[in-house]
Amino acid sequence: MGKCLVKVIFFRFKNILNTMLLYCVSLSLSAATIKIGLIEYPPHIDFKKPLSESKLFNYTRDVFKKHGITAEFVKYPNRRGIIELKKGNIDLLLPYDDSDKSVTVLSNPLFYSVPGLCFKKEKFIPILSALHRLKGLEIAIPPGAPVVQVLKDSGAILVALQGSDIINRGITLTQRGRLDAFYHPSPLKVYHTGNKRYKELACSYFHGYESGVFIATSPKMTKQTFTSVDGILKQALNELSYEYYFAR
Amino acid sequence: MFKSFISLLFVFIFLFVSTTTSANDEEVKQLVEEVSKMYISSMAFLFKNQWLINQKGGDKSELFSDKFVNNIRREYEEKYQEDFPKANHHVKKILLQTMVEVMEDNRPILTDADIAFKGIIPATFASQLGRKLSIKGIGLKIKFTRMIEGIRNKANIPDAWESAIIKDVIKDPKIYYDANANVAGKAVYRQFTPLPMKPYCLKCHGTIADNPLNKGKDRSQWTDIDMTGFKMENWKITDFGGGVSILMERSSLK
Repeated sequence: MGKCLVKVIFFRFKNILNTMLLYCVSLSLSAATIKIGLIEYPPHIDFKKPLSESKLFNYTRDVFKKHGITAEFVKYPNRRGIIELKKGNIDLLLPYDDSDKSVTVLSNPLFYSVPGLCFKKEKFIPILSALHRLKGLEIAIPPGAPVVQVLKDSGAILVALQGSDIINRGITLTQRGRLDAFYHPSPLKVYHTGNKRYKELACSYFHGYESGVFIATSPKMTKQTFTSVDGILKQALNELSYEYYFAR
Repeated sequence: MFKSFISLLFVFIFLFVSTTTSANDEEVKQLVEEVSKMYISSMAFLFKNQWLINQKGGDKSELFSDKFVNNIRREYEEKYQEDFPKANHHVKKILLQTMVEVMEDNRPILTDADIAFKGIIPATFASQLGRKLSIKGIGLKIKFTRMIEGIRNKANIPDAWESAIIKDVIKDPKIYYDANANVAGKAVYRQFTPLPMKPYCLKCHGTIADNPLNKGKDRSQWTDIDMTGFKMENWKITDFGGGVSILMERSSLK
């Protein structure tokens, strides 16, 4: 009983101390505005609509606002965003799903992306654990995309696409029936209710092969600021996960 | 000095009484049972609503957000004839939120008016839900599993504990508990609930005659490949189909 009491007191005080620490650090952060770069990542961040209609923008803005921090957002094309982040011209960049080890990300992912296959609707395979159905199919792979092992082992004919704007090209070839399917590291980016362009496609997922989508941080960010921002996001995600916020 | 001691004692008593961390075995068992029933209710709702899921077009709002949770609530209350559990523990709260998230992940296919069979069946939903929960770091793992032989989705292969329990379940079908299990050095609570085979399970896992794809076709054209693309297993209504396995880390109850 005594041991239990000590444990309870320890956890209580640890929580109080953590909250106080977060509050103090967020006070120090609030002295400066935080500059956040945004990359298009539909349907979470969609540049074709006003930013206020992108749920990830609203979630992030509110998370910092709650701690008295003003977030200033700048829209960037993917590569440019990373360059600006590395130069230190922005403090954070989101959403970030690159595997570039030189970029530091916050500890907790905002959400997860799941790789999958996009088919012409008439050839749609809804459950990809039925791997035998992929045998002999011609499936295009974008260069550099990390392909899940089960697809490699499935007996599908994997074709590496060449050229620029690979993803759009692969999708066009699939729509025209010149490929059986197109492998996408995150099909949600193209297969979502807001995108009418790819209405001839339907995508299914390799569940269990997800990877985190994070907030990347500037290399010039101090350790103290990193700890603070990391704590703020962690607390926000614990209170209300972004995925649930998006789903509601 | 005495006054200070009394004040301190009151503070300690307050902290001790107000805490919810010291869950005893009975409370844990009740929590795990509620989680299991909520999970089974969500699967049952999806079974009953395959018509809505696979409908081309139409209003699908009952499958999303708070409406989806309300449908699980109704299913639970009808199935178990008891009130739906209160969201008074973070594990239950996150379980419901994750169910909503899984349905949202599937929104593009669920609302795709050109596709008939969407592949959102109870087994795939359960698998996606289990996977999502396992990466949330709340110490809860749920799996819809059965014997290793003939399991369709390799992600649902049973572990040693589950394999041993399944052997017992086949001999004596009941809910099995282990309050003192240990997985990877962590103290965990485990439960296995067998799910009885239902006629709708046989539509995919039964005999060639059970396959809805063969309806209205000449026998010579019948297929033993079910609508999900797997070969049917020839199971009978009396066979063991599978069960819900729950693992809860004791540390997650704090």
